[in-house]
Amino acid sequence: MSTVSIEPKKRGFLGGFQPTPRVVRAVDLAGQWAAPIIIVLVMLVAAIYAPAFFSPNNLRTVSIQLAVLGVVAIGQTLVLLVRSIDMSVSAVLALGAVMVVQTEAGNSIGLSLIQAFGVAALIGLANGFLVAKRHVPPFVATFGMLVFVGGARLAYTKGQASGTVPELLRLISIEQLGPIPAALLVWLIVNLVVGFVLYYTRVGRWVYAVGGNPGAARYAGVNVDWVIIGAHVVCSVFAILAGLLLSGYIGYVDLRLGSDYNMNSIAAAVVGGTTFTGGRGNLLGTAAGAALLVMLLNLVVVLGLPIHWQYAMQGTVLVLATALQGFRQFLLSR
Amino acid sequence: MSTTYDATRIGAKRSAFSWSTFLRNNASILLIYFFVLLLAGIASVFSDRFLTVSNILNILRQSIVLGLFAMGQMAVLLTGGMDISQEQVARLVGLTVATVFAATGSNPAMILPLVLAGTLIGVLLGSINGMLITRTHAVPFIITFGVAFILRGINLAISSTPIRGIPDAYLQVYDAKIGMVPVNVIVMGLVWVGAWYFTNRVRVGRNLYAVGGSERIARLSAIPINRTIISAYIISSLFAAMAGLFLLARTGVGDPNAADGLTFQAIVACAVGGISLYGGRGSVVGVLGGVLLLTLLNNFFNLMQVNIFYQQLLLGSIVLVAVAAYRTKRLGSL
Repeated sequence: MSTVSIEPKKRGFLGGFQPTPRVVRAVDLAGQWAAPIIIVLVMLVAAIYAPAFFSPNNLRTVSIQLAVLGVVAIGQTLVLLVRSIDMSVSAVLALGAVMVVQTEAGNSIGLSLIQAFGVAALIGLANGFLVAKRHVPPFVATFGMLVFVGGARLAYTKGQASGTVPELLRLISIEQLGPIPAALLVWLIVNLVVGFVLYYTRVGRWVYAVGGNPGAARYAGVNVDWVIIGAHVVCSVFAILAGLLLSGYIGYVDLRLGSDYNMNSIAAAVVGGTTFTGGRGNLLGTAAGAALLVMLLNLVVVLGLPIHWQYAMQGTVLVLATALQGFRQFLLSR
Repeated sequence: MSTTYDATRIGAKRSAFSWSTFLRNNASILLIYFFVLLLAGIASVFSDRFLTVSNILNILRQSIVLGLFAMGQMAVLLTGGMDISQEQVARLVGLTVATVFAATGSNPAMILPLVLAGTLIGVLLGSINGMLITRTHAVPFIITFGVAFILRGINLAISSTPIRGIPDAYLQVYDAKIGMVPVNVIVMGLVWVGAWYFTNRVRVGRNLYAVGGSERIARLSAIPINRTIISAYIISSLFAAMAGLFLLARTGVGDPNAADGLTFQAIVACAVGGISLYGGRGSVVGVLGGVLLLTLLNNFFNLMQVNIFYQQLLLGSIVLVAVAAYRTKRLGSL
């Protein structure tokens, strides 16, 4: 009787690739430290080709944009850590801005802030419910939510958002505290709070446990479903907060506001070392990823390149980062 | 009689047809066609123009673009992946073809070479997607999302305004009729039959199911996994390219905003049509039902003159309810 080989043929580009431990380690380190290293490189390139990048005015713009993206990316990192994803952040972000700007239509600022955060929490709750309780693939559930929330905003504003941004928002966004804008401080505070919860409390350990191995976490007595739901709620709330910072910064609300934040927040987290398989990633990496992305986007403007370069650049960063993280995860889990 | 097992007789004996088994096995498909008929019934009650031959043919013609997108998406979803770049592929093909048409002075002799070139672009982009996914083990929907952004940048670089100059002969792709029936509806019907044949009788089509069902078992069965996945992405981009070519004939201009939101609608059509978003399950018949349902819904909105601001809200809520109603077995990563 002849034996039939069931080994797949190894051929072609990387077909018979057998990584040595050293290669695995190198890819792991590259996945972890890619963002900070590339930031330094980009800064060097900027210093040579675009000195205008370092002008105080531009640095202020960059830091506010960093704060907005950074806050969204923290939420996105939390969601990615529990093996989910949130594609609805951009719609939530814009919804928050629209809701709070409607204060001019009569409500007090405090009431509309409570409304906005309440709606965000509800959206997060719905996302988390669909993902954790109904087992809908996270991408589909939150993308459906994106369409829904976007539609709700259109129906609410009838296609034309108007009103002026309340003083309070401008205060927490572009008001200067010494040399740094207030938005950057908000971002730092959020980082500190989330960092404390993630690394010094039980809840933080739960997040990593659920992401690392949901089955084991469940057996260890962690309420997996509610950790996932909680991550989604926090993510939506941070998206609203970022929306407030953004509208305070640009001073008006339009319909295209924040449409790129899905892409950018995921890219920031992934560039910073968060993997899609959960349980791997940290806030420092995400902060570095957000900084890298904002710098690159800003450089396109400073260098005077046409705006479509921004899209191509964002796409390239996301493709490279995803490929690197995917490869890293593949090597580590062999 | 002995109890020896005759290999040639495995599966040869069919149990007698029973309605209950039939209903149980095809519940999701029957449900979707029930909804199609229900919606058609409601529509014909509300509007006497609905149940006319011309409106039904019109609906079938409207369903072509979504149908092409959904067929391509189905191939990818069956392998457990997802292709977000379809929309941008369609735009890129449309814009490129329109640009060359315009540059050659709307020469009808250019139609055939340009159609070939358009499909070639689709095949090329599909193989890039497939190579990226199989070689780097990256998460499919994120990496195709990144590719979509790169393509968006390229599309905006080509043109940010519609391109005129399509030769009149090319518009026949949309306008040609035999009697009352548009030729493209007949062709599309044949394509659906071909898709059914491909997924049920052709080895590559069966391999799509095998790879999506269980990659490990597919590997042990000596199914070429990487080649199957790459061909799925090629199919997806190829159909997107054909949709782009069809849209070109429908609108008569190369539109940088063509096919807006259709990638997501295609995924929804597949999902409500019973394609498992974790791969390996579903059928062409169900997808056709999903496509018809979504097209009917759009037609219904138009007949009922639903305000455009509420259409997106309604679509979003339908999607959320639909995905929440499905009970998915596996809790996968993404």
